[in-house]
Amino acid sequence: MVLQNHVILVNDVPARLHFTDHHIESRTITEPVTLQAAIRNTLVFNVDRLNGAPVQAVFSTMAEKLAGQFQPYLGDKSYRSYEVVITQRGDGYQRRWTVQFIPTKT
Amino acid sequence: MVRKTQQVETRLVAEYVKSQYSKFPSITAQPVGVVSQELMAEVGYTKAIRISRPNRPEVDAIVILPNYLVLIEAKVWHIVDGMAKLPLYKSLIPYTPELKEYMPRDVIMELVVPWSNPNLEIMCRDHGIVLKVFTPAWINEVVNRVTNYSTREYRLQRSEKLRNRELLGLE
Repeated sequence: MVLQNHVILVNDVPARLHFTDHHIESRTITEPVTLQAAIRNTLVFNVDRLNGAPVQAVFSTMAEKLAGQFQPYLGDKSYRSYEVVITQRGDGYQRRWTVQFIPTKT
Repeated sequence: MVRKTQQVETRLVAEYVKSQYSKFPSITAQPVGVVSQELMAEVGYTKAIRISRPNRPEVDAIVILPNYLVLIEAKVWHIVDGMAKLPLYKSLIPYTPELKEYMPRDVIMELVVPWSNPNLEIMCRDHGIVLKVFTPAWINEVVNRVTNYSTREYRLQRSEKLRNRELLGLE
């Protein structure tokens, strides 16, 4: 069991995740560029496998560009049928994500 | 006042891939093209990929079928741009290190659009591109909003909505 509560992506290093559930929550954040406080919706996934190892962790994003790639899988929670490999690239407003959906055998 | 943006083509391609290829592995926003071998030897694979980022275009999605790679570009606006990119991106596939494990496979090019027209069909056919019309229910609303964006009526309505959001502390 990996002792990790929150999955943090490292630039250019793929992370392979399996999600079991999700919810949307509102968080008050400080915008890193403008330093203004703002309320943002955050997509939060529960993770039970990280890079092949069992975990009890969460992965969250408030980036619409990343959340949008998961949107079709949220309604029926069909993300449970996939291993998802996320590779984060770039910084700030230039940040991008390559997302690979790999159907699980079961 | 905050300007709201919306990731329309990201959502379109994600929904298309799920609806058509849910049983196959897929990759969205995949950079394609060469990463110099010399650079990899010098700084390692990960850093070489990072340094090469500005020179590598990004394809909307790739689906990995048993015998084919399906290269997908989804476009709502500037459709010809999407069509023009596909043969160029296809030429880079054999040189893309992230896709090396899936080669050799033939490449199918797919242009995903909400609506088609006869000229688009001719151009796609002539360039070996498969044209896929995919029109989710939400797309009409998005296109109408953009079409109406510059009209006086819409601007007034929108500025009132944003003012109300600020008054209610929702901004």
